[in-house]
Amino acid sequence: MSFLPRLLRSFALRTALLTAAGVLGISALGLGFGWLRSSAVLQDALDTEIRQQADELLREWRFGGPAALMLAVELRTRERAPGVLLVQLRAPSGSVFAGAAPLAVAPPGLQGFATIASTDSEGPLRALGIGLPDGFRLIVAARMRLVLDTAQTLASTLLAAGALAVLLALAFGLFTAWRLERRLRAVSGAAEAVMQGDLARRLPLSGASDEFDRLAATVNALLSRLETVIEGMKQVTVDVAHDLRGPLSRLRQRLEIAQARPRDAAADAALLDAALEELDGILATFTALLRIAQLEAGPPLPGGQAPVVDLSATVATLAEAYEVAAEEAGRVLAAEIAPGQRVHGDQALLRQMLSNLLDNALAHGGSHLAVTLRPGPILEVTDDGPGIPEAERPRVLRRFYRLDRSRGTPGSGLGLALVAAVARRHGAEPVLSDAKPGLRVTVDLSAARAS
Amino acid sequence: MRILVIEDDSATADYIAKGLREAGHLVQVARTGKDGMMLAASESWDVIVTDRMLPGPDGLTILRALRASGIATPVLVLTALAEVERRVEGLDAGADDYLAKPFAFSELRARIDALGRRPAASQDPVALRVGDIEMDLLRRAVRRAGQPIELMPTEMRLLEYMMRRPGQVLTKTMLLEGVWDLNFDPSTNLVEVHVSRLRRKLALEGLPPPIQTIRGAGYILGERG
Repeated sequence: MSFLPRLLRSFALRTALLTAAGVLGISALGLGFGWLRSSAVLQDALDTEIRQQADELLREWRFGGPAALMLAVELRTRERAPGVLLVQLRAPSGSVFAGAAPLAVAPPGLQGFATIASTDSEGPLRALGIGLPDGFRLIVAARMRLVLDTAQTLASTLLAAGALAVLLALAFGLFTAWRLERRLRAVSGAAEAVMQGDLARRLPLSGASDEFDRLAATVNALLSRLETVIEGMKQVTVDVAHDLRGPLSRLRQRLEIAQARPRDAAADAALLDAALEELDGILATFTALLRIAQLEAGPPLPGGQAPVVDLSATVATLAEAYEVAAEEAGRVLAAEIAPGQRVHGDQALLRQMLSNLLDNALAHGGSHLAVTLRPGPILEVTDDGPGIPEAERPRVLRRFYRLDRSRGTPGSGLGLALVAAVARRHGAEPVLSDAKPGLRVTVDLSAARAS
Repeated sequence: MRILVIEDDSATADYIAKGLREAGHLVQVARTGKDGMMLAASESWDVIVTDRMLPGPDGLTILRALRASGIATPVLVLTALAEVERRVEGLDAGADDYLAKPFAFSELRARIDALGRRPAASQDPVALRVGDIEMDLLRRAVRRAGQPIELMPTEMRLLEYMMRRPGQVLTKTMLLEGVWDLNFDPSTNLVEVHVSRLRRKLALEGLPPPIQTIRGAGYILGERG
């Protein structure tokens, strides 16, 4: 769609038009008021001039009575260029005693200022009538043409200014609309790209740190989160395909061989047992994978809102269960648990995390294992086995990663990945370190601590 | 026992029904939530097994409706995946037990048997007795054939759990849940280790071992009922 049809439906254009209308209204008010005031000022100036002339003529009257005034009026009427100032003296009868003809239309008893028509084609007049003793009346008038012309010029100038203001407002509005449209189009373009599968695409930032940038930054954070989740899901799919293929093909082979063999009750029973065991292992792997995926996709547990878990008691119960298991395997599990440690979290998940850590220690560790809960709370599981080379440590927290030497031992390769997922859910990151000898896994749960 | 199975997946429903009939139960299957609800409310059952996801009203809705109508028949809820939160939700809705698919039939059977035997009214005895084993719940003391036996707290909890369900097959997952509150199966053989310890402590010269292993299913304390 091209810019224009889109523009016609755009919010920005509506805003621009509203702005222009607003400017128009304000201009009309302001300019109209200005015009009225200016016209009034012009007329006042004219009136002042008329009044001055009248005062001069009245002085003549005071010096020499009607005759002197009559002379002065006649003199002015002749001297002055006609059309600027007109003077007339009327007799008590109302007849024109002296002065300009165009003033003939002035009403007989004119007193004070008035606007009157003229007998010629020069336009209206502004006239001042002054009553004199003995019934005489002096009328001083001026052509209004200049005032009217000026007012008209002023009006057209103001109208032009108003029109310009409206045009400017409109242009500015259109420009804003265009800019707004362009930024929003960049946003929707990026969103469409993401929709079509380009998960790495991010919204452009203008660098102005304005509200658009803030929105874009928020949306980008959202996209990053989505990308992580989707990548995780993809990874799970690949992992499942990769790591479950082996056991499943083995199982199939075994069943195929057994099928070809003559039936034998004892051998079949053994085969079924083995097949069931293998299937249980595969199902356990599936469950663990799904649980990790759910944990990774979910938001971290809300700090103060998750239920309070008595971590000391939880660790103590599990440690006791595993102490017995370690003892049966000819090993020692030492537990050192600080009392009263509580966290906000999910008890079942925390149990599973610790259980996986202890499973891991029992499977790969040496003869002395230890579980420690220190105030913080900080949970630590240590063994004196061969440990994990430093370069490999970050990788063992991933799904299905197994050290080459442990390929032969049972285990899904998901234990530590699940530990990491549960820890992250509780705002913690498991840290693997060298226990010299052996492996130490530390989970600092202080971010989830409950008072 | 009369057992109602509400399950929309016909393969699963047939498999459950067949297995339970072979075990001597009377089984009726409902394929939709609506049929299940009608049957559950109109007839009397010893145990109801319902899938969580059903066409029409789902398992939890049926469960809540039954409980709200004062029907206290034990209900076991089946679900596609044991998610911890979902589990809690199911138990809150009034489920007596919860089992995640895929499950071993022996597991389902053991749990149905356990539900069928659940005492109607909860009674809190001060002492338990199974065969020649006695447990004083107040003093936490155990005797076998009159001889005191020293047990660790976990062993005590394990024995108590088993003594409260004499003659029933108790699966590994039932024990993990009931004794350790673990709803997953750790790779360490916790149950085997603790049961074998308990067995050794309970072993007395000339007396038969009280705990038996049922291959592929679990453990039984006392005579199989």
